Amino acid sequence: MDKEELINRYFENTLDEAGLKELERLYQSDPDFAAELDFEKELQGALKTNERQELREMFREKRDAERAAPSKVVRLRPWLMAASIVFLVGISAWLLFFNSTGIDTEALYNTHFSPYENVVHPIERGEQLEDLKTKAFTAYEEGDYALALSLFKDLQDKSNDDYIKFYEAIALMQLNKHSDAVALLETYIRSDGELKNRAEWYLALSYLRLDQVDKSTSLLKNVADHNGFKAKEARKLLEELD
Amino acid sequence: MKDEQLISQLKNRDRDALKSVYDDYRSEFFKFAHRYQKTGVDLEDIFQDALIALYENAQAGKLDHLKSSVKTYLFSIGKFMLFKRFRDTKEIITDEAYIFDQKEKAVIEDVYHDPGPDEYQKRLVSNFKKLGEKCREILELFYLKGLKIEEIMTVQGYENKNVVKSQKSRCLKSLKDLIKRQDG
Repeated sequence: MDKEELINRYFENTLDEAGLKELERLYQSDPDFAAELDFEKELQGALKTNERQELREMFREKRDAERAAPSKVVRLRPWLMAASIVFLVGISAWLLFFNSTGIDTEALYNTHFSPYENVVHPIERGEQLEDLKTKAFTAYEEGDYALALSLFKDLQDKSNDDYIKFYEAIALMQLNKHSDAVALLETYIRSDGELKNRAEWYLALSYLRLDQVDKSTSLLKNVADHNGFKAKEARKLLEELD
Repeated sequence: MKDEQLISQLKNRDRDALKSVYDDYRSEFFKFAHRYQKTGVDLEDIFQDALIALYENAQAGKLDHLKSSVKTYLFSIGKFMLFKRFRDTKEIITDEAYIFDQKEKAVIEDVYHDPGPDEYQKRLVSNFKKLGEKCREILELFYLKGLKIEEIMTVQGYENKNVVKSQKSRCLKSLKDLIKRQDG
């Protein structure tokens, strides 16, 4: 086997023990051979680390693009919206036919629930995600509710901002932990938090999801009477529940 | 996308396929990782490194006879990296328990510890990019994708192994000349 073949086989991983010994011997005794093997190893290492960097860069750009235009993603997919409308109409029709006596609280919940937007801690895109609050709300905006939830919990221990409870509750709702969400929202409403009306709407939805329709309707009436946040939608939901 | 199709695209170094894996599993991975690590850490970095290790192991043919799903494989890499990062994390039994062989582990560790190219490596790569397309192709197939000389012969339609060998060594020589010229 010539020296070139020996090096090629080394990279192909097809050297047997004798081959490896010969490679080692030449590496120690033949400076040209050693330099050649080192150069090829360096090239391989450089190409690999470079490709990894390019891939990381690719992910980063992708992420930045998505963050910069979150609404665009929705606009780009009108067919998806059309499909979901068809789906909802189908579900309602199905419910009318087969389930006309009971109320499908789950379907209603899914129709009316959307997470409350982050209005308390605007996130500057591209800024270093240093502090806990920014991390928490970034996770929230990105829909990583499990992550957001635990960060909100950490935050609660460290700050007195009441609204954290509210966002924590929304994250809980997204994770289908409605009993926990109810407890938090009730505390928040009792403390007369700034987002109280909004909290009532979400509390109504959580009760709905827990099949506690009476509690839900009484809250919805509150929301509807207030003529503010989600009043119209509350009226609509009340009609649907009737 | 079917896993087999995905694996063959990854083997062909199709970066768009890798992007689709990113989209498909990112939020699920974050939830998954969260079971191991409660405080906010750079899960994004770990997720990306796991994807890169997946990409490299697919190219090395490690996923050719994959018995689990690509998702399980990816999440197992992620778990491996999470344990590296947080030695104190408690082991939790999950479905994501793929057993890697030594080479797969070496790739995962290598990606995980990769600090990115240093000055010398950057210079090597920038000169590499000045080579002709044929040279770049053959060297990438050999060093990056890990194809054997014989496989390159088949894939690229060379007459015989010796043509590939001499082409490869010509390309290496051109690269060395480019570097020398830059130094001089």
